[in-house]
Amino acid sequence: MKEKTDVLQGTLALMVLKTLDVLGPLHGYGIARRIEQISGDLLAVNQGTLYPVLLKLEQEGSIASDWGVSDNHRKARFYRLTRSGRKQLETETQSWEQTAAIIGRFFDVKAEDLK
Amino acid sequence: MRGLRRFFRRLTSWVTARRDERRLRAEIEEHLALQTAENIRAGMSPAEARRQAALKFGAVEAMKERYREQRGVPAVERLIQDTRHALRRLRMAPAFTIATVLILALGIGATTSIFTLVHAVMLKSLPVAKPGELYRLGKQSNCCYYGQYSFDKEFSLVSYDLYKYLRDNTKGFAELAAFQASLQTAPAAFGVRRPGSSEAARSYGGEFVSGNYFSMFGIGGFAGRMLTPSDDQPSAQPVAVMSYRLWQEAYGSDPSVIGGIFTLNEKPFTVVGITPPGFFGDTLLRSPPDFFLPLNSESYVEVDADLDKYNVHWLDLIGRIQAGVDPAGIEAQMRVELKQWLFQHWSEMSATDRARFPQQTLYLTPGGAGITAMREQYGRWLQILMTIAGIVLLIVCANVANLMLIRGLERRRQTSLSMALGAPVSRVLREPLIESVALSLFGGAIGLAIAFAGTRLILQFAFRSVTGVAGVPIAPSPSMPVLLFAFATSLLTGIAFGSAPAWIATRVDPIEALRGANRSIIRAGSFPRKALVALQAALSLALLSAAGLLTTALQRLEHQDFGFEQDGRIVANFNARLAGYRTDQLPTLYRRIHDAIANIPAVSSAALCLYAPPLSGSGSLVYVDGRPAPGTGDDNSSRWDRVTPEYFAIVGTPIVKGRGITEEDTADSQKITVINEAFARRFFAKEDPIGKRFRPLPGASIVFEIVGVARNDRYFTHGLNRPTGPMFFLPEAQADYTRPNIGALFLHSIVIQTRPGASVPAAAIGQAMTSVDPNLPVTSMRTLREQIAGEFTQQRLIARLTSFFGILSLVLASIGLYGVTAYNAGRRVGEIGVRIALGAARGDVLRLVLRGAFGLILIGLLIGLPLTFAAVRLLDSQLYGMSPYNPAVTLGAVLALALAALAASFIPAVRASRISPLDALRTE
Repeated sequence: MKEKTDVLQGTLALMVLKTLDVLGPLHGYGIARRIEQISGDLLAVNQGTLYPVLLKLEQEGSIASDWGVSDNHRKARFYRLTRSGRKQLETETQSWEQTAAIIGRFFDVKAEDLK
Repeated sequence: MRGLRRFFRRLTSWVTARRDERRLRAEIEEHLALQTAENIRAGMSPAEARRQAALKFGAVEAMKERYREQRGVPAVERLIQDTRHALRRLRMAPAFTIATVLILALGIGATTSIFTLVHAVMLKSLPVAKPGELYRLGKQSNCCYYGQYSFDKEFSLVSYDLYKYLRDNTKGFAELAAFQASLQTAPAAFGVRRPGSSEAARSYGGEFVSGNYFSMFGIGGFAGRMLTPSDDQPSAQPVAVMSYRLWQEAYGSDPSVIGGIFTLNEKPFTVVGITPPGFFGDTLLRSPPDFFLPLNSESYVEVDADLDKYNVHWLDLIGRIQAGVDPAGIEAQMRVELKQWLFQHWSEMSATDRARFPQQTLYLTPGGAGITAMREQYGRWLQILMTIAGIVLLIVCANVANLMLIRGLERRRQTSLSMALGAPVSRVLREPLIESVALSLFGGAIGLAIAFAGTRLILQFAFRSVTGVAGVPIAPSPSMPVLLFAFATSLLTGIAFGSAPAWIATRVDPIEALRGANRSIIRAGSFPRKALVALQAALSLALLSAAGLLTTALQRLEHQDFGFEQDGRIVANFNARLAGYRTDQLPTLYRRIHDAIANIPAVSSAALCLYAPPLSGSGSLVYVDGRPAPGTGDDNSSRWDRVTPEYFAIVGTPIVKGRGITEEDTADSQKITVINEAFARRFFAKEDPIGKRFRPLPGASIVFEIVGVARNDRYFTHGLNRPTGPMFFLPEAQADYTRPNIGALFLHSIVIQTRPGASVPAAAIGQAMTSVDPNLPVTSMRTLREQIAGEFTQQRLIARLTSFFGILSLVLASIGLYGVTAYNAGRRVGEIGVRIALGAARGDVLRLVLRGAFGLILIGLLIGLPLTFAAVRLLDSQLYGMSPYNPAVTLGAVLALALAALAASFIPAVRASRISPLDALRTE
């Protein structure tokens, strides 16, 4: 159970970084909406879980935040990618793709290939 | 790297916690508002839109909790939160808090004040540089002079010549210093005067030390300079170093003292420097020295100098070893040197010395604490007091644990509710623990104040200071180790009395508790409380018995038959040595003092003596004429005193056989002596001692003829528990003033008998002495009764402290019993109401409650009696011959406990018996 949330948190952090990389500064709701749209149901259950992840990333210095004004003229907290965040995104994307490629190759292997 | 950055961010965000919390709330609000707006656009009603938004967001509180965990330092935060909560709860129960803190403060204060003494006397090093490098000669501290070439056990004292031999040949020492071995409690006294001042000489302690004494200790002067080896030469100018205390108290830190001339025993010395404030010399003494003089000035200031006598051992040694040198190697080398030195003096050695030559040895022991005479003298009773204070602390813990338990029971519903709502056990456990630690720390803080006052009081009682003379160098104010001790004690106490209640709190069955604890028939959890009360009763019984035994022993000591006539007898002390008298002037001086005192109208007679009762004087050996020399195992020692003719009549000792000392016994007549009955029994068991002769040394030219036997009055020869040993009394007029046996020629005391019904003012005696010589002050004066009682100061202090602790423990145990009885009676209100409604008489209810209380006390007695018998064995050495198993004392302690228990349980019992059945049933 705990492990599953850890994996989710890790992937969630990567999704947040990617979203901010693609779309530029966004507020929490915006990020949540975006991830929801792309990932289907993954975040539909608990949008609230996004905020501890945002805090962790900010503490690590990967993202920064400022107060701004949202589309409906409300005060909102806007998150943006920092330089070190961009670097982190690059390395993690690479390693993720590597991992995915390896896992993919394992899944492609059929019994007769190993004979 | 990233982890580190995150940690610092957590630390800073912990400080900004409140702002972060607001920010999170704003973000959530924003998030929900945006989602709601979108839902409305999708066609939902506003209420439904908001509901769906909240559902989608998930559990807000759970998320907040996780958010908080990401932020800050949660463990510390929770601790602070819990502490704040605990303090708030304590504030809400002021009566409980104040009572608990005070009880704790008493326990911690008592323990800490005793520990202050233990630390100062038993544990502390000298205030010198690197005390760990210091080694001293001797396993035990030895007093003060020894005049042979052989020791019984070890060479723990050395002569000046032997010191020089060891110093020059032992290379393992960076410095090896020698200094005069001090008497049991005080250094040798000097009569000190500033030339040109009209005041009489004042008596201050002084010590002869080697020139490298201060450099060995690594002590620099507070002002001026310290002694150097060049000061310690036979031809050097006489110089002295003064203590900071004397400089400050007697001379107001006058800078002209440094470089100024002072006379010590009428010999001029230049004061070259002042010691640093904390320095008290090489030995913790009741009264540390105020002057340090070079060893070589001993022959300048003393008439019968010991400096050049090869076989007079009067110096202690402490050396600083060179870094990396093994002390065992130095010790082995010094043993060889000792033998070599002894061999050089073979021709001067007696037959006994030569026979004992092979066994002669020496020991080096760690010397960082200096000469530990006080440690040996007070170790035993400090150990006893520390044990007693520890028991008091245990009782305090038991008592406070009980209060905490009752408090925990009252909070049961709340605890159950928290547990039912999912509070983790660790959190529930922490609460009472934090509460108790907070309480004990408060108690510790107040306890420190109590300890300070207590230590001052004990110091005053134990080492009664004489004005003008240095007091014992033990500061009552808490030092760092004492502070740490108090803190550790408080913390341990808190954990000890807090953990049991905490543990019990978690064992509550929530449903049972919520259903209403009042109705439950099974009084669950009452066992620990009862056990604690029984334990307190057992411990107080042990303490009360100890107090009873010590007090009884003291009373037996004080009220024993001393034999002396104590009413209307005064003892005045003086010291002619300090006024610079020569021995040939003494007979005239004594005559003049006697006449001046005897002429005071209220005085009926006066006598001078070397030692006044109950002190037994110096030691001597006895060789009876016409008998073979005593074997090595035979004890042929005796004490002796030198007195003037009226002595026996004044102290009230009758002569039981023969005659006393008279005016006819003069320097020209036959040398005579009067012995006591113990002397007669030891040396003349079956013979008539009158007319027999003995000598102090075999073949000595001096011989004493026994002319009388005095009643065996109570002199303290070998400690308070041994009977009076053999003594002989010599007439002052027959003292040999040509022999340089100086110490024994200077009489110390005047015993004075006043006329019946008259009182002698102290001023009259002072005036009489001044009329003889204005430079000869009375150093102290008290009645013979006070003089005898003064021998028991230490015993009285222990007995009083133990009694105080005993009564304290009894009060605490009573409070504990009262608490438990009242609480139990309170919980049984319903039951008692039913009993009364069904026809039980008031007396029945009274008995019911009292039975419960006395059951506990009975169990306490059952545990306490064996405990008491085990504990009082510790006291054996302090009881002076009384058996530690004293039925009267034990019975008294049991009765005291029973009475206190009755008093403590009677109020709740009476209150229970007055319960109205109607009210009782209505309370449910």
